[in-house]
Amino acid sequence: METGLLGIGAGIAVGLAAIGAGVAQGRIGSAGIGAMAEKPEMMGRVILLIAIPETLVILGFAVAAMIMFILGG
Amino acid sequence: MLVPMAKVEIVGHRRHLDAVLALLQRHGAVHLLDATAVPGLRVSSLAVDEGYAREGEELRQLGLRIEGLLDLAGNLRLRSEPDTFPGTDLDELLADLDEMAPRLETAVKRIDELENEHAALPRHVESLRRLLPLIPELPRLETYETVALLIDSRHAGVVELLRDELTEMLGSRFDVLSGQIDRDTVGAVLVFPRRESRRIHAMLSREQVSRVQLPEQFRGVPLASAVVSMERRIGLLPTEIREAKAALAALLSPVERWERARAHIGRRIAQIEALRLVGTTEKTFVIVGWAPRRRLEELADSLTVEAGAETLLAELEPAPDDEPPILLTNPAPVRPFQLFVRMLALPRYGTLDPTMLMSFFVPLFFGIMLGDVAYGLVLLGVAVWAGKRWGRRTPVVADLARILGLGAAWAVVWGFVFGEILGDLGHRVAGLEPIWINREEAIEPLLVLAVAIGVTHVLLGLALGVWVSARRGDRRRLTERAALMLTLVALCVIAGAAADVLPHGAMTPAVVAVIVAFVLLVAVQWPLGAILGPLDLLGIVTNVLSYLRIAALGLASVFLARVANELGATAPLAIGIVIAALFHVLNLALGAFSPTIQALRLHYVEFFDKFYEPGGAPFQPFGGSIAPVPDTSLDRSAPRRRSIEPQPS
Repeated sequence: METGLLGIGAGIAVGLAAIGAGVAQGRIGSAGIGAMAEKPEMMGRVILLIAIPETLVILGFAVAAMIMFILGG
Repeated sequence: MLVPMAKVEIVGHRRHLDAVLALLQRHGAVHLLDATAVPGLRVSSLAVDEGYAREGEELRQLGLRIEGLLDLAGNLRLRSEPDTFPGTDLDELLADLDEMAPRLETAVKRIDELENEHAALPRHVESLRRLLPLIPELPRLETYETVALLIDSRHAGVVELLRDELTEMLGSRFDVLSGQIDRDTVGAVLVFPRRESRRIHAMLSREQVSRVQLPEQFRGVPLASAVVSMERRIGLLPTEIREAKAALAALLSPVERWERARAHIGRRIAQIEALRLVGTTEKTFVIVGWAPRRRLEELADSLTVEAGAETLLAELEPAPDDEPPILLTNPAPVRPFQLFVRMLALPRYGTLDPTMLMSFFVPLFFGIMLGDVAYGLVLLGVAVWAGKRWGRRTPVVADLARILGLGAAWAVVWGFVFGEILGDLGHRVAGLEPIWINREEAIEPLLVLAVAIGVTHVLLGLALGVWVSARRGDRRRLTERAALMLTLVALCVIAGAAADVLPHGAMTPAVVAVIVAFVLLVAVQWPLGAILGPLDLLGIVTNVLSYLRIAALGLASVFLARVANELGATAPLAIGIVIAALFHVLNLALGAFSPTIQALRLHYVEFFDKFYEPGGAPFQPFGGSIAPVPDTSLDRSAPRRRSIEPQPS
């Protein structure tokens, strides 16, 4: 039971972070594609900007890993 | 690395200006600057020179005419840019164009007409063939006209309506022959006096009845005879088309000369446009620009030989706010990675070109994330195939193929390290054991590996940042980056001591080091440092944690591969193989795309942020994109005639 709860907690940590990153990436992506349509040379910067919110998911992943390995023993 | 640049000044007599510009264009080694904007140079611009403006306009017009003519030449155009021009004077070329253009247009029009006829006649024959059974062969009646109709079976009633309409218009002076041609079509043939032609056609148009339109030369001919004539014509057309094309090819024999003339005109127009950057006095000209230092000697020698000893090349002392243009140079195996540097922005002059570092770390990160022998070998094969297939024609594809090949090779290496061939299939089938980490089970060591890679990479970035700051004399940034380095090392020591890897005694000095670094960060950015200092400390931790994506993506890849294998194992052998193959292909597609993006992101965001200073302008040498023209090919025998060759000013 306790392991199951830990699993749910880890899932929530990654899941909510992924939702947040997805929302941010969606907005940045649409603006970035608009910018690239006018200035194709901005591709590198647009990729960079789109990739920035992904850190949220990685932090969520780190929290999930801590839940599983530290709390889960 | 960044090619060292020198600011140069070329001074000479104005009569040598065109020759010097042609030489610079040929060498493609000088990035021109506006000489009239250089402080301390009292020179005026040549842009208002009417002679050059007129010459430029004439050449543009001529270039457009040649371009139009070459468009007619179509496939006969030369595939490569010609590099020589067998001197022609402008008047001769214009006369040539005036004479050839109408003849070429007529020849091309003739071919178009013949080809259109060749395409259309079979369709007419097909339509008429379907109508022929309806009518007996009639003698050719000059006073009667025949119109054929093809009507959709669903609207067959139209024939009777037409008959009523014609009876009202012509009484009994017409005939309508109709019948089912096939399941969907009803055919009808109207025969009526020719003098009523206009009224009948107007009525058909008004009622929107579509007619079978015969080509002009077959109108008024009985239908059966028209079919025979058309078939004969179809047989003759290929020969006529061949002859017309041969005639066009003969007319186009001077096409190579026009190609060369066009290329030469392009070069001369570029020279005239470059004149706006040239500074002049009453008798001299001054050209200022940036050139790779290693090419100065070669340029100076060429100027002496071709423009005389009174034309001088001198190196100028760059002004403090000068930003030399950026030219990257790297060994061939590393060069493809310049693409990734350019994708972001070129570095500023005097900083660091990260291409070499990227060429090592990007494939390495890719390989760790993918980490599968089979996936790596497949991608290696794809890279080799794509490179051979498209690489020669498209340099970007060749570069990408090399990058993918390196990443795939690392994936094979890490595949052995993790003991993975198509996920756990290697272990199941061949008993393959990991050399170091089993990613499916030993997740903690994998996370530690990712963080260790992050610490190493970020520390390397900070060390490079310290070096760049020291080189540019930027004390504030130097202190900031050194403090962040100290913080990161101290945090690692604290983590090591907490995990009993390092002695506990190391904890206190490490905490002191973090406090010292924090104070430095706050002080060096004061008063904003009160806010930025803590953010910087937090940022460095986040940067390192961001490398966990190397482990996260690897885990996703290995578990997807395992899912593919498990699903495949649940079905009968043949179906199971198909299911597993589909999932592996999906995983491979994700595995090729996602690690590339993530490896780039780790460089652009976490690594470059520590030392990279973007904002360099690209080195764009005058004539750099134009093929060189040996001067010996120019006709200098008629200097007094209007010529498209450079003229003494």
